[in-house]
Amino acid sequence: MAPKSPPKATLEHSQSASGSAAAHHVEERHYRSGPLRWLLTTNHKEIGSLYLIFSLSMFMIGGAMALIIRLELFQPGLQMVQPEFFNQMTTMHGLIMVFGAVMPGFVGLANWMIPLQVGAPDMALPRLNNFSFWLLPIAFTLLLSTLLMPGGGPNFGWTFYAPLSTTYAPPSTTFFIFALHMAGISSILGAINIIATILNLRAPGMRLMDMTLFVWTWLITAFLLIAVMPVLAGVITMMLLDINFGTSFFNAAGGGDPVLFQHLFWFFGHPEVYIMILPAFGIVSVIIPTFARKRLFGYASMVYATASIAILSFLVWAHHMFAVGLPLVAELFFMYTTMLIAVPTGVKVFNWITTLFRGEITFETPMLFALAFVVLFTIGGFSGLMLAIAPADFQYHDTYFVVAHFHYVLVPGAVFSIMAAVYYWLPKWTGHYPDERLGRWHFWLSVIGVNLLFFPMHFAGLAGMPRRIPDYALQFADFNMASSIGGFLFGFSQLLFIWVIVKCVRGGVKAPASAWEGATDLEWTVPSPAPLHTFETPPDLRGFKFH
Amino acid sequence: MRKMFTLAALLASLDSSYSISHASDWNMPVGVSQVSRDVYGLHMIIFWICVVIGLIVFGVMFYSLYRYRRSKGAKAVQFHEHTTIEIVWTAIPFLILIAMAIPATATLKDMYDASESDYDVMITGHQWRWQYDYMGEDVTFFSNMSTPREQIAGTEEKGEHYLLEVDQPLVLPVDRKIRLLTTSADVIHSWWVPDLAVKKDAIPGFVNESWTRIEEPGIYRGQCAELCGKDHGFMPVVVHAMEQEQFDAWLAERKQEAAAEAGGVDREWALEELVERGEKVYATICASCHQAEGQGMPPTFPALAGNQTLMDDLDRHIDVVVNGVSGSAMAAFSGTLSPVDIAALITFERNAWGNDTGDAVQPADIQALVSP
Amino acid sequence: MWDVVKSVLAAFFGVQQDQRRRKDFEQGKAGAFILIGILLALLMIVIVFVVASMAAG
Repeated sequence: MAPKSPPKATLEHSQSASGSAAAHHVEERHYRSGPLRWLLTTNHKEIGSLYLIFSLSMFMIGGAMALIIRLELFQPGLQMVQPEFFNQMTTMHGLIMVFGAVMPGFVGLANWMIPLQVGAPDMALPRLNNFSFWLLPIAFTLLLSTLLMPGGGPNFGWTFYAPLSTTYAPPSTTFFIFALHMAGISSILGAINIIATILNLRAPGMRLMDMTLFVWTWLITAFLLIAVMPVLAGVITMMLLDINFGTSFFNAAGGGDPVLFQHLFWFFGHPEVYIMILPAFGIVSVIIPTFARKRLFGYASMVYATASIAILSFLVWAHHMFAVGLPLVAELFFMYTTMLIAVPTGVKVFNWITTLFRGEITFETPMLFALAFVVLFTIGGFSGLMLAIAPADFQYHDTYFVVAHFHYVLVPGAVFSIMAAVYYWLPKWTGHYPDERLGRWHFWLSVIGVNLLFFPMHFAGLAGMPRRIPDYALQFADFNMASSIGGFLFGFSQLLFIWVIVKCVRGGVKAPASAWEGATDLEWTVPSPAPLHTFETPPDLRGFKFH
Repeated sequence: MRKMFTLAALLASLDSSYSISHASDWNMPVGVSQVSRDVYGLHMIIFWICVVIGLIVFGVMFYSLYRYRRSKGAKAVQFHEHTTIEIVWTAIPFLILIAMAIPATATLKDMYDASESDYDVMITGHQWRWQYDYMGEDVTFFSNMSTPREQIAGTEEKGEHYLLEVDQPLVLPVDRKIRLLTTSADVIHSWWVPDLAVKKDAIPGFVNESWTRIEEPGIYRGQCAELCGKDHGFMPVVVHAMEQEQFDAWLAERKQEAAAEAGGVDREWALEELVERGEKVYATICASCHQAEGQGMPPTFPALAGNQTLMDDLDRHIDVVVNGVSGSAMAAFSGTLSPVDIAALITFERNAWGNDTGDAVQPADIQALVSP
Repeated sequence: MWDVVKSVLAAFFGVQQDQRRRKDFEQGKAGAFILIGILLALLMIVIVFVVASMAAG
């Protein structure tokens, strides 16, 4: 998506190499066109584009797996796939969507937009940035290749509870662990880079409370990543030892503790959930003021609420484990903390709505996605509140009600926010507006599809359908058929999304520097498309009106 | 507390599919115990709270979207930050949550009090069946899904209780406090019956506790709720609740059967007799992994048909079945199958699918091995 | 000190007057806010735990 022509060599670049022969060599390699340029790039915009393209490809692959799942569940009985393969599909779908689509999607947006929004020339650590990205295709190629190995790929769910994922796992599990380690290292390095950029490279005169909420939420998310990815690394290393080196961390027969796995996993896993939603809050908090032409109602409250959510996210992990037989005190503690987290989340929703109130609202595609986010994420929040009630959770836990809940916060939540961001910033990336008519089609088909897909799952779950089953009792048939139809509608609508992006990269209505009338942030002061190098000298922010 | 649930029941009756004891098609079942009714009440209260908040929040939102459109000539009014409003919208949800936490805490405490039970049942999860052990009664048995594979494959019409039927249900008396102890022999399972509002994970190395007091005789169906491998979707739970007298009669009958079974260990069994019995054991216990024709699913589940190690080494064969293979999915069956069943099973495996060894393993030999 | 505690509590609650916030950012020390923030977060954990213990009886 970045401009294809190589930029002019600058004085700075020729100085950086020692000796004229070496300088010549370095330059040639640096500006090579073709695949090597993308392999070796240290430019935040190019790496951002790589991340986004990677995320989109993974979204399609993970989505294809979801369609296999929905195809099998279209009717009762086993028609398309066998249970072993079904379990591999649910597992891979979850892993790919979480670690391959949503997280890299947000990192791609961060790469593109954080330097532009804080007035920095690039990310603070450009080579590290390159390395963080290229770990991902390697990790996911390895992960996907396990599907072709004897015994199949991971089949124990994306939560990979031991001992199903250790003693009872297929031989390919060691590769799964390796792949996850690589994805984790990529995330940690990316997070370090983002923190370094935000804290050190802000343009002179920009204080923390002047930053956009997208930058703020990413700053907090990056701290969450650094705090919890090592926990994930630890738990999968313990699995590795159990599988290959005869230890018994999670093997009860050897004196180990399968519940320890769940504590460690969810101590990572719950903050991970917020890692996938906080940047979405940031995006929506940037888009809604733009199209309501009104500043965000409570900027400071939004920052504080994000921080509160981040802190609380470390204190609620065991609400995923209400049915494992925790002591009563623990159940109560985690029920109370989980209910508490609803308060800052509510503050956010109220702020968005008050921002709309008495605004001057227009409904361009990014705004449509952002508004759908507010409504549908809130629905996901409501079911989350219901799940927090521990006694009722005994009925909801591990049913399709939970599947409905987390898909509402992740698909019309996180994924819609990424789509909103793409529509919002495409003019800046490509210099062209995305096709508004196609964008609207994409939006409405997605909204209808996603609700038809996930809303009936609430009913199926309440009526008693457990999750992760390849076949189901007859009373769940209607809900599943509706979900499957919705799934295919939503899935195929995304082809339209790809078409909109391709079309926009190729051409379209030219966008000016400030592509949206109500947009005020710093990225709209550079030309559209943003040249490969921006803010090489820091912008003069005297008199600049922040948010 | 009670008042609150009456309120919930009243609200719930707005839903047309509401009924006293049967699973509704759209909503959580009210169930057949006090706990399940309490849980249903909590569910409906929090549901209506969410509906009301949703109506207000989305109401304001859609009003703003409609009223303040630019195409209607709206002009933005710049205002932001209002301390009073912000305090109010933080405090109100907080108070609602406290009001919600009080009844939830009470119900949870009730669910955790498994003391003074009339009967204790140990529930052990296996891949992929449940084992029920009436503690102190010497009655134990497996409960396997009884839906025929043909119905799953679609070559036969699916029955009314497709995937939710078993060969032997858990039989319980009504109006008695039953303590349910859950554990597992292999991976984590979760024992769930929606009508009882009991869902408890069965975890290897742990014994979890829960309880129920069923108020109406009937048959209540549930499923394993925790992903436990290939046939996770095919290990239903069926509870048959009956009056005390019927239950006593049933229990006495089971005890007699168990005694008769124990007598079988001492006598000499013929090869055909063992193979015939072993075929049934194989079909219910082994076929899900090693497959109906013994072809297995390598590399995880090795083939038994034509397996040279199996045919050459009888002692190893017995050892694997009795003690399992540590570090693999092969469980030890000495604790879960009777010596007669183990002997029959091994004999069957050594004489089926072209494994024509002619060996007949006697139950007495297995008995000697298991309890020397 | 008390001002710092009040500001941190306001941040936990998510509500703060703009002028107070400005004052904090201009005159306050980041370290003090972080320290008090961590202490108050720990205090919150203790409070919730005590409430849970009492409720569990």
